Amino acid sequence: MEAITLLELNGRVKSTLQFEMPDAYWVQAEISSISPSGQGHCYLELVQKDATGRNFLAKAKANIWRGTWLKLKPYFEAQTGETLKVGMKVLLQVTVTFHEVYGYSLVVQDIDPTYTMGDMARRRKEILEQLEKDGVIGLNRELEIPALPQRIAVISSATAAGWGDFRDQLANNIYGFRFYVKLFPAAMQGDDVERSVISALNAVALRRDDFDVVIIIRGGGAVSELSCFDSYNLAFNIANFPLPVITGIGHERDDTVADVVAHTKVKTPTAAAEFIINRVFDTASELENLTRRMSDAITEKMNAEKVRIERMSQKLPSLFAVLKTRQEQVLETLWIRSVNGVRNMLTAQAHKLEIVDKTLAAADPHVILKRGYSLTRLNGRAVKCVSDLKKGDRLTTVFADGSVESEII
Amino acid sequence: MKYEEAMKRLDEIVSGIEENKMDIDQIGESLKEARELIKFCKDKLYKTDEEIKKILETED
Repeated sequence: MEAITLLELNGRVKSTLQFEMPDAYWVQAEISSISPSGQGHCYLELVQKDATGRNFLAKAKANIWRGTWLKLKPYFEAQTGETLKVGMKVLLQVTVTFHEVYGYSLVVQDIDPTYTMGDMARRRKEILEQLEKDGVIGLNRELEIPALPQRIAVISSATAAGWGDFRDQLANNIYGFRFYVKLFPAAMQGDDVERSVISALNAVALRRDDFDVVIIIRGGGAVSELSCFDSYNLAFNIANFPLPVITGIGHERDDTVADVVAHTKVKTPTAAAEFIINRVFDTASELENLTRRMSDAITEKMNAEKVRIERMSQKLPSLFAVLKTRQEQVLETLWIRSVNGVRNMLTAQAHKLEIVDKTLAAADPHVILKRGYSLTRLNGRAVKCVSDLKKGDRLTTVFADGSVESEII
Repeated sequence: MKYEEAMKRLDEIVSGIEENKMDIDQIGESLKEARELIKFCKDKLYKTDEEIKKILETED
């Protein structure tokens, strides 16, 4: 039996690999560890997991040598807005090498950022679908930003430039509006984002009556590392938040999940401050408008009243004249009527008197006596019946021109 | 009173005058109320509310 040395064996493996697999391969894998070296290289560990995500199906070391890393790193970050990190799915062009001491490893030649972006987009989409399914995706958007969003809870990193910009812009707004800002510190990059932003949200929620809106902002760094805002838990908390949430997390690419569920999404902290100032400006304009309308309406009303009074005072004399004439006519009529009345009455009375006079004249006994009649009296009383008389009565017969005495025999 | 309530009331008053729903005697009263509302709103916009400031400055 012929034995060979380990070095010889490894040498054969190495040359076989070189001979059999000389090409570069595009490989899909997930990064399970990443460590940049002091010399400027970058060491990766790549894995492939099964469908459950718990078990490894394959694993390999991969090295990105300094020269390649210096080109690939900025290119990848510019394209994706992310740094290479654990858990990221990548598409790498690799050559296969074998080193007698260090064993099997891959050497990265190139990277395709679109694959990673596609994977992040797919993850975002999955999260959004889940939020939609859970019925929370539009909840925060249904809230109304109050007319005067002056009391602002800011979730940001205390050291972030964006926070300072935001605060200064509000404080120095040209209109002189007053704002009240309180910072609830949270990590804005790295693995702690989800946990610390949620805990800041909870702190705001405990004092929700003290605030009108919540603003999540961070200053834009060279690399935005937005994937930490593509988190189901964070999005769920934002969507369910009792106050309107505005995000200004500084980026140009597609919206993060946090942006989608927020009430309003702007690009930068400065834009967030502008948004708030504009909202208050609109409100102030509305007040100006109302004030102007008020004074216009009052002026108009007063003018109308003035015109009304003037018109009335002009009309008054002629109205009065008409009234006077009318009253005079009434009086005149009354006068005529009363004069006529009196006259008629007098005439009627005169007529009546005349009749009475005639009647009286006709009844005068003297007139009757003159006509040839005579009046017979017995003891001073007129005799009306023969039967009232007896023999021996002394009668007085009255004529128009005198009287005689006689005795019945 | 809240800012939005004040604005709503102000709007009611102004509309009332514009639509000629008020007589001169009422307008005097309304004008007084409107002035107070406008002042209230302007103060909210432009003057620092020490009360709010104090509330927000208290540490949790």
